[in-house]
Amino acid sequence: MRHYEIVFLVHPDQSEQVPAMIERYRGMISAGGGTVHRLEDWGRRQLTFPIAKVHKAHYVLLNVECDQKILAELTGAFRFSDAVLRHLVVNMDEAVTEPSPMAKAAQEEKEGGTRSRRDDSPFASDDDDMGVNA
Amino acid sequence: MKDDKPRRSGPGGGGAGGGNRSFSRRRKFCRFTAEGVKQIDYKDLAVLKQYITETGKIVPSRITGTKAFYQRQLAGAIKRARYLALLPYTDQH
Repeated sequence: MRHYEIVFLVHPDQSEQVPAMIERYRGMISAGGGTVHRLEDWGRRQLTFPIAKVHKAHYVLLNVECDQKILAELTGAFRFSDAVLRHLVVNMDEAVTEPSPMAKAAQEEKEGGTRSRRDDSPFASDDDDMGVNA
Repeated sequence: MKDDKPRRSGPGGGGAGGGNRSFSRRRKFCRFTAEGVKQIDYKDLAVLKQYITETGKIVPSRITGTKAFYQRQLAGAIKRARYLALLPYTDQH
């Protein structure tokens, strides 16, 4: 059993089917004795560049613990599904359960709090609080 | 007795601060080292966006001061984010 982090992008026209897809994949994982540690639905997001001539996609994040066989099954399902535009699988060392930065941002927005604070960029500023460096 | 030239003689050899002395810049530092980041997350767009240029290129560590260990992670994270269309490859999309 290994830990994986899976992100997949669903075609926006198939957005309504996402809960059903998640259930199906979850069923595949649990049928093979795996577990889902984190599941996030980021919703429909703007893509920074068009993929397959669409500009938006529905993002889903899954952190799972399963065998290689189940993972192969999952990636196969992604490939054969016309709804999945793209998927990424990352090997992880351990189970991640805390919300991702993406989910946190969505949460903050929902609460209507302050807009994300800006950390000052660590480069390219010419403040002269330091002495001369010759 | 071969070449006993001075070590750097070419134009612009050590000329980084040569011209204007009054110009000083803030010291660079690696924010990942400072914060003790364990692993740079490809999903943390707020951080990643600070390390790409307007045209979408990865900013070299010689500009940002990022340590090599983190620069490698950063490059990987940015490339993953690009694959998922979270970050642009270029501004010409």
